[in-house]
Amino acid sequence: MDFFFQQLSNGLTVGGIYALIALGYTMVYGVMKLINFAHGELFALGAYIGYSLLVTMNLGGRLGPPMAIALTIIMVASLVALAGHLLERAAYRPLSHSDRLSAVVSALGASIFLQNAIMIKWGAQYRAYGADLLPNVIVNLFGQNVPLIRILVFLFAVVVMTALYAFIHRTKLGLAIRAAAIDQGAAKLMGVDVRRVIAVVFIIGPALGGLAGLLVGLYYGQINFIMGQLYGLKAFTAAIIGGIGNIPGAMIGGLLLGLIEALGAAYVSVAWKDALTFVVLILILVFRPTGLLPERVAEKL
Amino acid sequence: MLELIDLKVSYGGVEAIHGLSLTVKQGELVAILGANGAGKTTTLMAISGLVRPKSGAIYFKKERLDTLRSHEVVQRGIAQVPEGRRVFGPMTVEENLKLGAFSKKRWSEKTYKKVMDLFPRLEERKVQMAGTLSGGEQQMLAIGRALMAEPSVLLLDEPSLGLAPLLVKSIFQAIADINSSGVTIILVEQNARAALKLASRGYVLDVGRLVIVDSAPNLLNNPVVTDAYLGAKST
Repeated sequence: MDFFFQQLSNGLTVGGIYALIALGYTMVYGVMKLINFAHGELFALGAYIGYSLLVTMNLGGRLGPPMAIALTIIMVASLVALAGHLLERAAYRPLSHSDRLSAVVSALGASIFLQNAIMIKWGAQYRAYGADLLPNVIVNLFGQNVPLIRILVFLFAVVVMTALYAFIHRTKLGLAIRAAAIDQGAAKLMGVDVRRVIAVVFIIGPALGGLAGLLVGLYYGQINFIMGQLYGLKAFTAAIIGGIGNIPGAMIGGLLLGLIEALGAAYVSVAWKDALTFVVLILILVFRPTGLLPERVAEKL
Repeated sequence: MLELIDLKVSYGGVEAIHGLSLTVKQGELVAILGANGAGKTTTLMAISGLVRPKSGAIYFKKERLDTLRSHEVVQRGIAQVPEGRRVFGPMTVEENLKLGAFSKKRWSEKTYKKVMDLFPRLEERKVQMAGTLSGGEQQMLAIGRALMAEPSVLLLDEPSLGLAPLLVKSIFQAIADINSSGVTIILVEQNARAALKLASRGYVLDVGRLVIVDSAPNLLNNPVVTDAYLGAKST
């Protein structure tokens, strides 16, 4: 039971991170019907910006950990959002009237470019976040000992996702995003500036992905420049599990994938952890390509 | 009020409209008639800014329209009810209406009431997903949604398509009411007879060319038109 609970809490934490990244894939796909292959690299960029702020600039030492992390969260979200926006302007907008395939190739190119840019800027070796940033506290939850950081990371992911959900469903801009995801042409006829919607999606998605990168740095303590590939692929799987283009689906898919991975690693084999993810991806694509969520819930964004 | 001057539109390399000129006066209800592929929908899409004309110009109240983007056209007061209704199926009726009012700074309860008076059925279906409505109700929603933008010009693309005759009658009645409340209307229809009964004038297009412009009564009595589009001799 104790062992199981540890896996469960770990799975939910990792799942929360997957869900944050998956939201970026799903939002962009929802509106543009394009897989932003560079999204994993934006996630890695978030991890590295966090590294620069917390380790290189030693914000933790100067401001104290709580202030430093709060500031880092804001900086990472805004800088990665900016990077996402520039990416959209440079790699996607000029191709908005071209074939879908051109945009896909452009996305792959942007991904390779970003990954190499990160390597040149920060180096090819692993980088370590300081261990002293978050207090290494174990708290007692339902009679089980759980590291505080797990709870914090998970709660942070849930709060961000709830805020996003409220934004999409309660605001005028959110309504426009949903409309553009359903029928771009009809949305234009309603007076929605679809170009602006795309810009917004390319700001929110990368911001969430960047934050996920920061969380990985804080949770695992180390990052490397190709981390975007594996996390990107896993989060993409999470988005597919929930039904790509579907926001609640990405959240549920992320959490589910985190749990599958953690429990699979614990009860099947650690070595098969990543393979398990892609077995799930293949199974979903074969048996339920529209995702696990029922159609009615899957109202695209 | 609205003027198209020698408009040419092409998709890829294929020209769909070969130089169309058209004028609509304030408060008028003008019908655009023609068979499939005549360029009727393309004309409306060009006005709404969803397709860019290759040459020619569109003016609205002396302002050049064809260089504006689609949301700017809506802001000028030109709303469209597109072919096939294109309501947002996974959204509620109310959300669809909210999107209709998207170009407005704020939601107008007065306009909403007007739309509900016109189509009381929508009020009953307010919280229902638009995709679950019947074809007729979806058409009402599509028109109501466009009216939420408080347009001065309403572009209607085949509002009778796929509807039972009784419903067609009530939709056309609603269109007549909207027009008499002061909204200028361009009505694209295959159902030419019904359209010409409402319209004051009609334009007849054939494969991207204007063939006839005349008053509605004259068109109804023009043998060329009755043969080709009103199904007098054959269908």
